[in-house]
Amino acid sequence: MTEAGKGTLLPDWPKVGDEIGARNFGPFEPAALIRYAAVSGDDNPLHLDPAAAKAAGLAGLPVHGMLMLSCFEPVIMGWRRDLFITRLSAKFLRPVLAGEGIRVLGRVLRSQGDAKPELILRLTARGAGDAIVILAEAAVQYKNATVPS
Amino acid sequence: MTARDHVQAAAALPAEPGEAAPVRLLAIRVRTEPDEVAAFLRETGGLGTGDFVPLTFPFRWLTLPAIRGLILQLSGGEGFLPVHEAQSFAYERSLRTDDDYLLDVAFQTAEKPPRLILKMAVSTVQGEICAHLETVLRIVRLTPETPS
Repeated sequence: MTEAGKGTLLPDWPKVGDEIGARNFGPFEPAALIRYAAVSGDDNPLHLDPAAAKAAGLAGLPVHGMLMLSCFEPVIMGWRRDLFITRLSAKFLRPVLAGEGIRVLGRVLRSQGDAKPELILRLTARGAGDAIVILAEAAVQYKNATVPS
Repeated sequence: MTARDHVQAAAALPAEPGEAAPVRLLAIRVRTEPDEVAAFLRETGGLGTGDFVPLTFPFRWLTLPAIRGLILQLSGGEGFLPVHEAQSFAYERSLRTDDDYLLDVAFQTAEKPPRLILKMAVSTVQGEICAHLETVLRIVRLTPETPS
């Protein structure tokens, strides 16, 4: 794999270790969970019914994992709008409870800058106490050189 | 086409060697309705209301009645809840707003710990693959509330 900058077609192509600016989301109040349930269709009572959350062993309503994962795309697009996200994989490690927020941040893990510019990004969402609540990896490509729409 | 039709249409699919045959739903037609895309964008992180389909939008199709019904059935029914453990999206091409797509969904159960794994392919009605999703749900047994 070739580092960007060595015979690169894109002089400003990100390098390994470059940071993706952190951004805060939330706090996600119960009303936000209800609204997300409405637009996503995910009305799993775990996220909406305190009794169901308690029966699942949680101290409060957990924020939908997909609501939080949906925040990753704006972070990447806010960093560089010339990218197309080809892959996003995530593990939900800990629940974030209603009333709490997350901080999404990342860095470039691998960078290929030649014929088919591509980056591999390591992304995390951190919750209360700076604990990692979502661990993710994304592959992004230079929008104008890759995936057709 | 009803959920039963989809399952019957899939009945002839072969299983992978050494594995139980996954349950499959085939050719579920969906649409990226502009107002639904816009509403989704408003609630998910502030990408505005541009004319594009957000990356995670196809996840909402897992809540369609045909798919949701099987998720609940395969999760064990009453007394159990699926908890989202992992999710991946792999795109070959972007989705467009106000367009029709077809979904193929495979459901695979696993034990120790109990999980339900869904693999969904999104394709154009012409059959071009746009995206693959994989969803891992851990199945949690609810404990009855104890009086306090």
